[in-house]
Amino acid sequence: MTTTEIRTTDAANPGPAAPGKGGLRGTARLSKRLAVDFGALVVLVALWQLATSAATTPFFPTPLEIVENFGKMFFTGPPEHLFLTDAATGDVFASLWRMLLGYAIGCAWGIIVGTLLGRSRAAREYTDPVVELLRSIPATASLPLFILVLGGGDFMRVAFIAWGVSWFVLINTASGVASIHATMLAMGRAFRVSRVRQLFGIILPAAMPKILAGMRIGLTAALILVVTSEFMVATNGIGFQLIQAQRRFQVLDMWTWMLLLAVLGYLLNTILEVTEGRLLAWHRKARD
Amino acid sequence: MSVTVPMTATRSAVDAMLQVEGITHVYGQGATAHRAIENLSFTVGPREFVSIVGPSGAGKTTLLRILSGLLTPTEGTVSLVGEPVDGVPEGMAMVFQDYSRSLLPWLSIEKNVMFPLTRTEAGRDERRRIARESLEAVGLADRHDRYPWQLSGGMQQRVAIARALAYRPRLLLMDEPFASVDAQTRSDLEDLVLSLRDRYDMTILFVTHDIDESVYLADRVLVLSRPPAHLVEEIPVPIPHPRDQITTKETDEFVDLRGRVARLIRSGGQPDGGGSR
Ligand SMILES: Nc1ncnc2c1ncn2[C@@H]1O[C@H](COP(=O)(O)OP(=O)(O)O)[C@@H](O)[C@H]1O
Ligand SMILES: [Mg+2]
Repeated sequence: MTTTEIRTTDAANPGPAAPGKGGLRGTARLSKRLAVDFGALVVLVALWQLATSAATTPFFPTPLEIVENFGKMFFTGPPEHLFLTDAATGDVFASLWRMLLGYAIGCAWGIIVGTLLGRSRAAREYTDPVVELLRSIPATASLPLFILVLGGGDFMRVAFIAWGVSWFVLINTASGVASIHATMLAMGRAFRVSRVRQLFGIILPAAMPKILAGMRIGLTAALILVVTSEFMVATNGIGFQLIQAQRRFQVLDMWTWMLLLAVLGYLLNTILEVTEGRLLAWHRKARD
Repeated sequence: MSVTVPMTATRSAVDAMLQVEGITHVYGQGATAHRAIENLSFTVGPREFVSIVGPSGAGKTTLLRILSGLLTPTEGTVSLVGEPVDGVPEGMAMVFQDYSRSLLPWLSIEKNVMFPLTRTEAGRDERRRIARESLEAVGLADRHDRYPWQLSGGMQQRVAIARALAYRPRLLLMDEPFASVDAQTRSDLEDLVLSLRDRYDMTILFVTHDIDESVYLADRVLVLSRPPAHLVEEIPVPIPHPRDQITTKETDEFVDLRGRVARLIRSGGQPDGGGSR
């Protein structure tokens, strides 16, 4: 949670247009980054291993135990399921599915509304107080209301994730669209470019650096939100299993689910960063 | 004005490409209102090259924005070939003063030049051919796959010009297009524009604050006053074509015209200015 917090605040200040952590510069840069990332990680894990094997508390199993359990829990299934266990196919896929659907809807909604707001200063000024107020409610705090109104099913969870994600995307999109230089927009009109092409050929590409910055924070948020939503009235999912493990004092399982979340978060973020690196090559280079 | 409109309108249908009638433009309202243009009228004939000079802040960009239909004037009308301009007209292209902001940084310069062409009949290959031809005309054909931010300011300006040319406009509006290039490039671009005017049969309105340039390029120079801009004088430039950067500028005629324009600008449109003989 703490690492996610730090990332959120870091990305919440995209500045003029936050490129992803400096962005990726081709495969060379990627492998270099992986080396740096994993180098530090190896040292950290080694220290962690030493500390936890020296300590006797039952709450902190050693990393080796966690990794071993990780393999056992998720990759000891039948060959016809690609060795994936029921936990992997059932709970992990259930969470992933909810998360990605909610994320996609939240991004779409955020981009649509954000673009509309970004296009009209009057609309922005008019809705600003409402937007500021609503987005200040921590998304997690609205979960009880979502359950009350939409019930305890998947529909509620997807809607809840979409809601939480949409604010980051909406605000970034609106600011990105609003800050497009007037001359660029005038160019589209002066050459009688169709409205659709003005939108897809000028407005959205020009705002893309900011939109993607919002989508990156949104992705982190989506992971938090899916787990949180599964803490309550759920029957499966990563969040549900986490709570179950905690209630049954299956400390090792709890840690294993946490490790899984870390891996998932890392993978998803990397996918988005690589996509961003591709899409925004022009932006990065134009700034150099 | 109500008396003169019908008369001139009839005339315009015959021999005017562009007709500007009593244009006034006020930015803002109330105490902060700024009168940028005051009762400006003039006519531009087909294939004419008209320079517009005036001090910085006179309202030249405002005028072009009005002529292009991007901005609706507070008062007055603009007609293109007899048709009142209401929104951006067809067959008009613009080279923006802020040229680098008018290029799309995520597209190669060839794609930038092709960008406005989608509405034309031409297929993709044809559009690419037109784009290449225009880039060739401005001497950038070998860099078609570069991106705007990889080019110098002068080259970016040429891309903006190529984009306008590829559009095959009848009327080309250019807003201080050579303001930020070095002297040599500037001379080259001036001659380029003159040759392209002949090749593509365009009417050109060319805003500049460079007096030599205004005379060298134009068939007629419109001198605007200090703001709010009104027309100080129209000066015909009867120097024959083709013109030459060195010899034309040495002729008595050129020196004389340049002096007249300079005095008019310095006087800022005051009747007591030493300009008019
Ligand atoms: N959108 C605007 N709102 C208010 N004032 C403007 C706007 N655009 C230009 N102006 C003002 O109008 C005047 C003329 O501007 P402009 O047409 O750009 O002059 P020029 O191109 O001759 O330098 C300037 O004083 C400028 O500050
Ligand atoms: Mg200007």
